[in-house]
Amino acid sequence: MNTELLNEISEKLQRGKAKDVSALVNQALEEGIAPDVILNDALVVGMNIVGEKFRSNEVFVPEVLVAARAMNAGLKILNPVLADAGVEPIGTAVICTVKGDMHDIGKNLVRMMIEGQGIKCVDLGVDAAPEAVVAAVKENNAQLVCLSALLTTTMGGQRDVIEALCEAGIRDTVRVMVGGAPVTKEWADDIGADCYTLDAASAAKEAKRLILEMKKG
Amino acid sequence: MKLTASERFRRYLAGEEVDRMPVIEWAPWWNLTVERWKSDGLPAEHAGYEALQAYFGLDKCLQTSVSCKTAQTPAPPGHGLGIMEEEDDYDNTVRPTLFPAYETMFPAGFFDALQASRDRGDTIRFFTVEGFFWYPRTLFGIENHLYSFYDYPELYKRICNEYADWLVGLFHYVFSRFRFDFMSFAEDMSYNNGPMISRAAFDEFLAPFYRKVIPVIHEYGVPVFIDSDGDITLAVDWYADVGADGMFPLERQAGVDVSLYLDKQPDMAFIGHFDKMCMKFGADAIRAEFERILPSMQRGKVIASVDHQTPPDVPLDTYRDYVALLREYAEMATHKDTEISACPVYR
Repeated sequence: MNTELLNEISEKLQRGKAKDVSALVNQALEEGIAPDVILNDALVVGMNIVGEKFRSNEVFVPEVLVAARAMNAGLKILNPVLADAGVEPIGTAVICTVKGDMHDIGKNLVRMMIEGQGIKCVDLGVDAAPEAVVAAVKENNAQLVCLSALLTTTMGGQRDVIEALCEAGIRDTVRVMVGGAPVTKEWADDIGADCYTLDAASAAKEAKRLILEMKKG
Repeated sequence: MKLTASERFRRYLAGEEVDRMPVIEWAPWWNLTVERWKSDGLPAEHAGYEALQAYFGLDKCLQTSVSCKTAQTPAPPGHGLGIMEEEDDYDNTVRPTLFPAYETMFPAGFFDALQASRDRGDTIRFFTVEGFFWYPRTLFGIENHLYSFYDYPELYKRICNEYADWLVGLFHYVFSRFRFDFMSFAEDMSYNNGPMISRAAFDEFLAPFYRKVIPVIHEYGVPVFIDSDGDITLAVDWYADVGADGMFPLERQAGVDVSLYLDKQPDMAFIGHFDKMCMKFGADAIRAEFERILPSMQRGKVIASVDHQTPPDVPLDTYRDYVALLREYAEMATHKDTEISACPVYR
């Protein structure tokens, strides 16, 4: 296997070079490298490095965004090939900013980082009503719900979604992760969420862990 | 020692002896909070921004905020969205609507009215413009702005350079007519884990323009504050390097600790830092929070104030308790016994 090429894809991704990533992913496929190997050993590896650097303040939000864009450029080519080869995402997450809150940059960062773990994300955008989250979980057989809130006045929306999941009888079928500027571990525990993380990179790691845990039963 | 609000503010930032710390709210109250207080018994005639400050017995602290945009500037199509889709949009549809003539921006008698309130002695006045992170964000939109450092670096710099040139003229126009007590650049360039951009990006995209405008503001003796929510622990050094005199609001929930900032930037002043989230727990919790900040208030130029805006879960009586305690602790920060360095503007 051409590990040099996989490393080059990872490096270009880390530098946010979307066009180069597209070209190199095509080249890797032409060289016969399996799509799941390209995904896991190049794109996911690259995004994980970006995540770690983000956590340690070596790179910042613009660098994560352009890296995630490069990752998506690679995924755009890989996804149909992965589907043809019968390779499934490791799971599905429904993600949104809760009702009454219009802030989406943090939520988008988390989504991009989670996608970087090979997880399918159903993004409901901002101002998402609890019933919309419940419907999306059912429709997509999601294992994870990620709820963002930027404001102290809107963080109660996270509790509303958890209550709606309970009322719909599907609380036990999903794990719920919460985050956002005013959100704390205490708040997450208080509203019955399964997970709180401080930053987008940690959220992605935890998302993968929670989904694998759910699938294992 | 008898000081006007304006004199007290200046002396406090200059590290000189004062009778007490200024007792201010720099931001207007949330409408949700005011509505709640009305239901708690706040008379409606006191519910306005200025009237509320008087009602609570705070030093009046009033903001004049201006923008380089005009009524002709396109409005964003939604929250957080930009007003430019393509690079050419800046020159074709946006730029022609920017940068109004200064004399058209202020109503007749505006500066005389400011001076009258200065002469009365009861009001601190501050002047606010958008900073070099905030302003391009309003043109690009929140997300595209973050991409713009990579996608449109030259346009970003041109936008800021043109804006800085306009600001230089504005500051001469305004401050030659009225010396505001301080001015602030709205930035909001940090979130709860630190700044959104790197030091390298700050140095390339923001610093040159701050270095162009801050000396002009300082010529008039006006201290410059940067308003950024979130964790500014890294950014405080960056803004110090371009000449800023202080920052606010130092949000506790983002993990900010002002005592660290006093260690590393003793020339700077800081407004805010009182953890708004403790207020709902009542007077004992409020006192405990003041006890936490007091050593920093006594060490330097910390003007304790709610670290953004009082949340709606705080009853009116509890806010009254907060103001009473704020006044009590303000008396303990007098700069009497400690050598305190002056903000850069006063050197």
